[in-house]
Amino acid sequence: MSTPIQVYEPFKAGLPKLGKYWKSLWSRRTFISEFSKSELREQHFDSVFGQLWLVINPLLLSGVYFILIVIIRGGSDGTRYVHLTATLFLFYLISNSLTGGVKSITAGQRLILNTAFPRVMLPISAVIIAVFKFVPTIFVFLIIKVVVGSEFKVEMLWAIPILLITILLALGLAITISCINVYFRDIASFLPYLTRTLLYLSPVLYEASELDPKLRVLEVVNPLFPILDSWSSALVHGQMPEISNMLQGLAWAVGIFLIGTYFFLSREREFAVRL
Amino acid sequence: MSSLSAFSQHKTHEIAVSVRNLGLTYTTAIDKRPTLKARAKALGRGSKQTRVVRALDDVNLDVNYGQVLGVIGTNGAGKSTLMRCIAGILPPSQGRIEVNGSVSTLLALGVGFNPSMSGRDNVYLGGLAAGMTREEITGHFDEIAEFSELGDAIDAPMRTYSSGMFARLAFSVAATVRPDILIIDEALSTGDAKFKEKSLNRIKELRSDDRALILVSHAMKTLRETCNDIAWLHKGKIVQRGEPNQVIDAYQKFLDLGKSAAIDEDV
Repeated sequence: MSTPIQVYEPFKAGLPKLGKYWKSLWSRRTFISEFSKSELREQHFDSVFGQLWLVINPLLLSGVYFILIVIIRGGSDGTRYVHLTATLFLFYLISNSLTGGVKSITAGQRLILNTAFPRVMLPISAVIIAVFKFVPTIFVFLIIKVVVGSEFKVEMLWAIPILLITILLALGLAITISCINVYFRDIASFLPYLTRTLLYLSPVLYEASELDPKLRVLEVVNPLFPILDSWSSALVHGQMPEISNMLQGLAWAVGIFLIGTYFFLSREREFAVRL
Repeated sequence: MSSLSAFSQHKTHEIAVSVRNLGLTYTTAIDKRPTLKARAKALGRGSKQTRVVRALDDVNLDVNYGQVLGVIGTNGAGKSTLMRCIAGILPPSQGRIEVNGSVSTLLALGVGFNPSMSGRDNVYLGGLAAGMTREEITGHFDEIAEFSELGDAIDAPMRTYSSGMFARLAFSVAATVRPDILIIDEALSTGDAKFKEKSLNRIKELRSDDRALILVSHAMKTLRETCNDIAWLHKGKIVQRGEPNQVIDAYQKFLDLGKSAAIDEDV
């Protein structure tokens, strides 16, 4: 028996053989989980206080924003706070994927220059880490909901498909931005402004229904808008989200994922030269 | 992408690596870091400030199982680039490379892509990225840790390592997994005399009929002792290939000439 012969030839612009790529990626799935684990360990999320910080951090954030809302609007209620926490936590899943993903390729320089492996593993790991950080906030949210006295309904289960759409979107965004960062290293410095803008353009500090009709265009141009709106409908109001909203969110997620992955895969063989 | 997990027996003289008409050119930007700001600034200036580097030019190289090939050449001759091409890290611009077996690389940078993680984590991550399974790495881990003589430091973050410790761990990883084809790029140049000797002995142990070794080094004495074949690379081309003493003598003669007559200047 002999190992299959590896052939390396000049590549033409375009995708590598997807079947082979997937096989190679799948055989390295332990890397993805191991990398996420050691990264979390390095950030001390394996300790009690580290875990606690994962919960305290979003809680403090939601507290700060709640004060902002109360001051600007001159008052608020419990539902508003539930909406704020629900959407803010989901928003941070995307924002953490972006901040983790942006430098995933450039920070993996040593590994990339030394080993041949599917480079897309690195942004994928960044998203997995963001998901790990997101999980404890679900419990925090549920506790807040109980404390505020908000009703639990079976429609809340719609949050599951919405979460899956969000993860797909986060993956697409992380893959895209990690690739862009190889060519433009200062994207990482622009990122905080980008995420901050996205936050204000999304129905987090306000609800989609309150939006001035003139600003409705935000719903169309912001990929996060339909997702966060559906998330709030399901989790906060216990209503079935509008199907059109979910489909719009799904279309954004699939679109960004496909385009980003295409760019990434067709360029990743060049990364070693660029780093 | 090569996988280290598929070990197999190879016959001596069977071809391990075949490089045909390999050419590699890349464009490097003059700017240190490619940024959006720099690109925007350059918009008005017309052409992009880049330099085309022809790193490898029509290289033909066969390595058979049982062979220990030394690769020599001055800085910038294309040695590391050639190794990266064989390892499948850099895609060639022209030509074709066939690799028949599993490859383990110990290139100049060694292991450890995340300095804030411990040596242990980095060994695992490097191995997993190279396509080994967790169990395989666990099976080798004790041997790696022992060979590297790092002791407790293996669990300390790699940013606390000295360059010698770094090199020792890197060498231990590459030399312990026993791949079909082992590429070692200037890894012997760091480390103290004791470890150097130890790693040299390990390389000698690793010489076997069903393995191909490629060593990139500037240590001519080591190469004379260990290799049974030498390729001399200069400006991306293979100048001479053959019996170690002969090629190394020619190379050293060339170096001496270069010193006096400066024939190698790129002015």
